Amino acid sequence: MIKITNLEKFYRTEEVETIALNKLSMHVDTGEFVAIMGPSGCGKSTLLNILGMLDDPDEGSYVFNSIEVAHFNERKRADLRKHNIGFVFQSFNLIDELTVFENVELPLIYTGVTTAERVKRVEEVLDKMQIMHRRNHYPQQLSGGQQQRVAIARAVVNKPKLILADEPTGNLDSSNGNDVMELLTDLNEQGTTIIMVTHSEHDARYSHRIIRLLDGQTVMENIMV
Amino acid sequence: MFKNYLKIAFRNLQMQKLYSLINITGLAVGLAVCMMIMLYITHEMTYDRFHTNAKRIYKLQANVKIGGNTMNMNYMSYASGPLVKQSQPAVDGYMRTLDYHKPIIVSNPLTPETKYIEEKVVFADSDFFTFFTFKLISGNAANVLSKPFSVVISKDIAKKYFGDTDPVGKTIRLKTDSAYTYQVTGVAENAPSNTSVDYNFVASASSILATKEAKEYNGEQRIASGSFNLFLLLKDAADTTKTRKGLQQIADKEKSDFEMHYKLSSIGSLHLANNWGDSSNLKYLKIFPLVAVLILLLALVNYMSLTTARATLRAKEVGIRKVSGASRKTIAAQFYVESGLFTVLSFILGYLLCYAFKPWFLNILQLKIDNSFLYSPLVLFLLLGLLLLTALISGIYPSVVLSSFKPVITLKGKTSKQTGGAIVRKVFTTLQFGIAVGLIICGVIIDRQLYYLRHADTGLNRENVVMIPVGSSMGKNYQAFNKDVQAMAGVSNVGTSHYAMYGGYDMYFIDGKTKDESIALPSLSVDDKFIQTLGLEWKFAPEPNKLLTGKNTIVINETAISDLHLPANPIGSFIKAGNERMEVAGVVKNFNYSSMESVIGPLGLFIASDTTSDWSQAGCNLFARIKPHTNVPSLIESIQNIYKKYDQDTPFSYTFMDDAFNKQYKAEDRLASIFSTFTYITIILAILGLFGLAAFTIEQRNKEIGIRKILGASMATITTILSTDFLKLILLSVIIASPVAWYAMHNWLQNFAYRISIPVWVFVFAGTMALVIAVLTISYHAVKAALANPVNSLRSE
Repeated sequence: MIKITNLEKFYRTEEVETIALNKLSMHVDTGEFVAIMGPSGCGKSTLLNILGMLDDPDEGSYVFNSIEVAHFNERKRADLRKHNIGFVFQSFNLIDELTVFENVELPLIYTGVTTAERVKRVEEVLDKMQIMHRRNHYPQQLSGGQQQRVAIARAVVNKPKLILADEPTGNLDSSNGNDVMELLTDLNEQGTTIIMVTHSEHDARYSHRIIRLLDGQTVMENIMV
Repeated sequence: MFKNYLKIAFRNLQMQKLYSLINITGLAVGLAVCMMIMLYITHEMTYDRFHTNAKRIYKLQANVKIGGNTMNMNYMSYASGPLVKQSQPAVDGYMRTLDYHKPIIVSNPLTPETKYIEEKVVFADSDFFTFFTFKLISGNAANVLSKPFSVVISKDIAKKYFGDTDPVGKTIRLKTDSAYTYQVTGVAENAPSNTSVDYNFVASASSILATKEAKEYNGEQRIASGSFNLFLLLKDAADTTKTRKGLQQIADKEKSDFEMHYKLSSIGSLHLANNWGDSSNLKYLKIFPLVAVLILLLALVNYMSLTTARATLRAKEVGIRKVSGASRKTIAAQFYVESGLFTVLSFILGYLLCYAFKPWFLNILQLKIDNSFLYSPLVLFLLLGLLLLTALISGIYPSVVLSSFKPVITLKGKTSKQTGGAIVRKVFTTLQFGIAVGLIICGVIIDRQLYYLRHADTGLNRENVVMIPVGSSMGKNYQAFNKDVQAMAGVSNVGTSHYAMYGGYDMYFIDGKTKDESIALPSLSVDDKFIQTLGLEWKFAPEPNKLLTGKNTIVINETAISDLHLPANPIGSFIKAGNERMEVAGVVKNFNYSSMESVIGPLGLFIASDTTSDWSQAGCNLFARIKPHTNVPSLIESIQNIYKKYDQDTPFSYTFMDDAFNKQYKAEDRLASIFSTFTYITIILAILGLFGLAAFTIEQRNKEIGIRKILGASMATITTILSTDFLKLILLSVIIASPVAWYAMHNWLQNFAYRISIPVWVFVFAGTMALVIAVLTISYHAVKAALANPVNSLRSE
């Protein structure tokens, strides 16, 4: 599903050039659950942004579903992204002015799903995440665990092939964190590919494979059995 | 998708109540000002355009050259109408109207004791209601005015004299030279406010020609100047040149001692071209569109500045939407919808404000605009245009800025590097304060000049002088009235003049040195007590025992000595006007007998004795100087009682001379009131803009403030650091605005022959005011930021 080759990304200021990704190559197969780990500043988030087509690489190739996307413009990336990728963030990133229902509905609006179909699919996914009873609440009225479940609901409502999770349990206590990891595992078992950035060895053990980065390069891979 | 945009726009509006209120109110105020000015200008520009034949109706006027002086001739003789039509094939029809300028006393014969002085009485040809497009409520347009002494009255007049009963067929008495009974043949809708052919009564022209005054109004039996407005209906609008040339040929053939140049003015152009009575309207028409655009621009700039300033709060939302699949286009569309919603709400509020403040605005302008005009298709169309334009402009900048946010950055909570447009907002603020400072400077200078005009020494003592107009209806009783007022305890002097002071003068043409030279000499007919009553001073007093009231003597002012080429001491010199030789018997020092916008011109005083019977025939004004410490209201009441004894027909009225003097600056006064209102509005808008900018900029510097505090900066230091940047902008705006305002006011002051010099303190004052306002506005945010716990601001990074 994903194949990146010799990927490079630099951050420049007037004086200094920082290398975030240094000729990084990796691949992820359909249906895999991959964890990316490494110390702060190793390039994890940069990699995730490029994989999610929120950012473009300076050099190298990124093939997504047999399409070379490394030099796509913003419009093309947005188009590809909205049909294929769901995001889960450490800080949930829900829109405060929208209710639970409306937050989850958002990706469906942008992909042009009809109203009736939207209601059906949002209710379905809220039910699955066990937050149906909170559908008319605003994010501030929910606990952290509930907020993250809404965020996951939003990430999966469009039935994406790939979910990118950026430290999904970072703002949660261990009990809520485990719930979230169980949810992701379930999704993976139903066929969704998951790439997750994490600091937690505990969380990483839910995945099939751990890719460890240092200074923008892969230093080790652990295959879980 | 649109529904989702609207939903979030509404929720934002509710959650950010203060911000929304500031934003909507600011824009609404700007829109209200714009609407009012638009209404006013549209009204001025559509005068007389409602007539079905407006494009083919022209008024015949002429420029007449007598000696070196050119005069406008607005009126033609009665006979001119048919003669013009006969001689000019392009003329399809004509309409003669006579505006009766003297007061007319009107009563219903059934209730003769109730009398009113009426204005806007028009005597017109019988096809008035078919020639023009005025609506008749009752009566047949073709023949309402076909008989002498028939009259059509307006709806309001019908109500005033006949209540709810139908006035058609009833009679009404109009007293011109004496009282005549007219038959009411129709009722017309009130004349619309945008017409120069204004009427309350339209009587048949044949009526006035059947009265004793007929000779005065009939005029010459050829195409010549006279007393009637002459409107021509051309077969085609393109025929104006042909017709004018044809008439000019006739005029050139006739021998005359003056040159006459005809012109044809389209009826739609009359109102703006013939504004000699009160030229203020033209001034407004030049200034107001500029003001409207300026204020709307300020309001829009504010809106954009505040909206983008709040972008930090929306950045995360933009990021999430983009991650959820929104393209830049859909985000831009969303913010356009929000701007649209704000604009519509502001527009509604603005319309209400406009509606609420319209009477006040029109009152200052001394204008009447029909309410029906407010809902006319043209005005509604323009309002819709304004709405669309505002929505279009207000949405552009916010949607461009907000849709450009990159989700990678905003989702991490870092917005400081990409909220963009900081320089644009600085320019906005400088612009706003520049305009505010400029307006403050102009306002103060206008105010000083008006104060100067009111309090300058004009060479006569105009305080405590009451002027009472006396009509011909008092007749021979005037002498007795004059004596009775003079005998009152509270009155020190009484004088008489044909015209009220500042109310007009006659023009004589004095022979110059050469045969062709003719010098215009404004003159007043006054009595022998006039000079003393007004406290005029002699430059060259008449010889003792010299009779000033002689028929061939004249008193002149200082300016007239040189203008009439007289010797330095002209006593005993003679001047010639046509066949009359007049001896200069005395010279008074110069005094302002008209507005101080112009220098004191030459003046002649023709002096008659206060017992002359002329006063009662032509009408006059009695000037009474009131002694100091007199109870003025009770004195006026006593004078009124005496007046009623001698004249029961013309109602009593009076004016104080200093009021009449001040009234000359009515146009300037109105300009000043309007100006100060606009200044306040601009200041409020500038404050709102700065408030928004300060909130935004200081929020961006939260981290810096936190670090400074942790390192030991005091609250005062932080407040100063935060304010300094803004104060630099304000200073810049003062520096830019001052020369512009100086230039504008320097030019404006050139309109006045007597004017102040622009004082330096005005600029210092305006600058200080701007700084004080700015400091107060900024300090709210600066102090709040300085007081905040640095732990919070550092954690948020």
